[in-house]
Amino acid sequence: MSKLYTFLKYFFITFWTVFVVAPFLWAVSTSFKDFQSVNSKVTYIPWLDFEPTLEGWRVLIKSPAKGGVDIVEPYFNSIFVTCTASLISIVLGTLAAYALSRFTFKAGFVRNNDITFFFISQRIMPPIVLSIPFFIFLSTIGLLDSLLGLVVVYIVLLMPIAVWIMVDFFNRVPKELDETALIDGCNPYQAFYKVVLPNSIPGLIVAGMFCIIFGWIDFFFAFILTFTEVQLLPVKVVALNSSITPWWSLSASALVSVAPLIIVAFIVERYLSKGNLSGALK
Amino acid sequence: MEEQMAKIDLSNISHTYNPLDPKPTYALNPFSMTWENGKRYAILGPSGCGKTTMLNIVSGLVRPSKGEILFDEIPVTDLKTEDRNIAQVFQFPVIYNTMTVYDNLAFPLRCREFTKEKIEERVKAVSDTLNLSSFLNSPARKLTADQKQLISLGRGLVREDVAAVLMDEPLTVIDPDLKFRLRRNLKEINEQYKTTLVYVTHDQNEAMTFAENIIVMDQGEIVQVGLPKDLFEKPKTTFVGYFIGSPAMNIFHSTVSSDHEVKINDTTIKTNSNLGNLKDKNVKLGIRSEFIELAEKEKSNTVKIKLTRVEDFGNFKLLTGKMGDLVIKSKVEREKPIPDGELNLYFPPEKCCVYSDEKLV
Repeated sequence: MSKLYTFLKYFFITFWTVFVVAPFLWAVSTSFKDFQSVNSKVTYIPWLDFEPTLEGWRVLIKSPAKGGVDIVEPYFNSIFVTCTASLISIVLGTLAAYALSRFTFKAGFVRNNDITFFFISQRIMPPIVLSIPFFIFLSTIGLLDSLLGLVVVYIVLLMPIAVWIMVDFFNRVPKELDETALIDGCNPYQAFYKVVLPNSIPGLIVAGMFCIIFGWIDFFFAFILTFTEVQLLPVKVVALNSSITPWWSLSASALVSVAPLIIVAFIVERYLSKGNLSGALK
Repeated sequence: MEEQMAKIDLSNISHTYNPLDPKPTYALNPFSMTWENGKRYAILGPSGCGKTTMLNIVSGLVRPSKGEILFDEIPVTDLKTEDRNIAQVFQFPVIYNTMTVYDNLAFPLRCREFTKEKIEERVKAVSDTLNLSSFLNSPARKLTADQKQLISLGRGLVREDVAAVLMDEPLTVIDPDLKFRLRRNLKEINEQYKTTLVYVTHDQNEAMTFAENIIVMDQGEIVQVGLPKDLFEKPKTTFVGYFIGSPAMNIFHSTVSSDHEVKINDTTIKTNSNLGNLKDKNVKLGIRSEFIELAEKEKSNTVKIKLTRVEDFGNFKLLTGKMGDLVIKSKVEREKPIPDGELNLYFPPEKCCVYSDEKLV
């Protein structure tokens, strides 16, 4: 019985791993192919099945004038927009979440939970609902097709995530921790940044991870709110497609797009596996 | 350093958690009390009687709905917690997870900008007292629950100048053996540094062994303040009689028959209380099982009971008997032979307490 269980367990893990990893390997392999190797017959292994070439990768950094599709600038645009928006969202979101967790707000029928829900409701809405208001808003203040405009919009999108995660996290931090800090002689601000915040690093990391992921992968708003001046990576990658699908450069760009998230995943995983996310205050 | 320990006055304090309600329920009914500098107090009472609220009012975590708090005659009611110079230890260990044990203990001093040498000296002294010296450099989160509570305690004791150290059932998570030692340590610290200690507990033994003064609370009301001996021998209300002592005080419904006598069923019991103006009223007679004596034969102030149970507790025997439908418990010496069936119990008049409306006459 237990042998069967072990067998099934490993079987499914193996199956799942193949399911997840295979597309990546396929993309890696494809990124080194040329037109011939993709379109003539199915090929898998470099040097045996096909002659690898770096053409798919070179196109990504060549300027359009030389027949390339320079993704370097969109890449750094994406990094800038995602990191800036995530950072601001985390800072503001954490402060908001702490207030929502520790103080009681009352405005008419509105209570703490309603405010928290209001934040989350921004994510429940289908993004398309927001597209026209955002477009009009940004064009009114003259930030269409600019990095700053994108940062503003992304903060709106990412802050609810930060608030949502951090409210839940702070609610699990006993209020006695803050009270002890007050008794020990901190003022409320010191209590927050000397005691509560260091204890909340696991929560901050998780919130940061989600913000970076959602910021990085957004295509919709990047597509609608930018035209020629500024381009973000997802839009540029999609723009690679043409009448003859360049599978090789598409694969290469997909890999470089995913790379930062993989790095983030490795960093975060180290913190999560420390086990101090759930047991932070036991 | 400036001597800052203080006499703490609570003047007409009361508190409700729903002040906007037309009929607010009070967690603390109006009371006044003074905590003398350097004494040990225990606040004793069942869960939800307002003990913790009282502590939080003193430390400033809760602002009382009414009344004033004074440290050495200076009003501090509007002073924030961080400016009050109070140490408070909670029921469950609260530690700063991201810091080492040393940093945890030093934190209250660093917040108040003590010099490095002073901090080192105090942390060393406190960690020696609490047996934490060997852990000073380990991360606080790696310690066991009772060691963590020692850290909480240590943070309370590390400041020599605190007005008072308030402890809210601090030894709940600590194992019994260590508990005993720590209580003694706390006593020593109190005697050595003259720090006012206020200790909240629902455990009467803890309160009795720890404190010089015990404050008994029930349902937001301070029922009795006094020495352990007073609480034991002359409980002011039947509640104190029930709550303190093990087993609880024997309490019987009775009727006043003359100036100094009450009748339980048909037995007349003489007391030392003056019952002149309570004639024929229904009262309650209370007597500790410790004070009830075995009598050879019927005489005045004895009751005849039917023995229903004898329990041997090692150092004493607990007799349970019935007189009609009244249950009487009596503690007797272990060696004393217990006759079977019916026996006579003697109630010493000076040990009998009479309660009218649950209050001592």
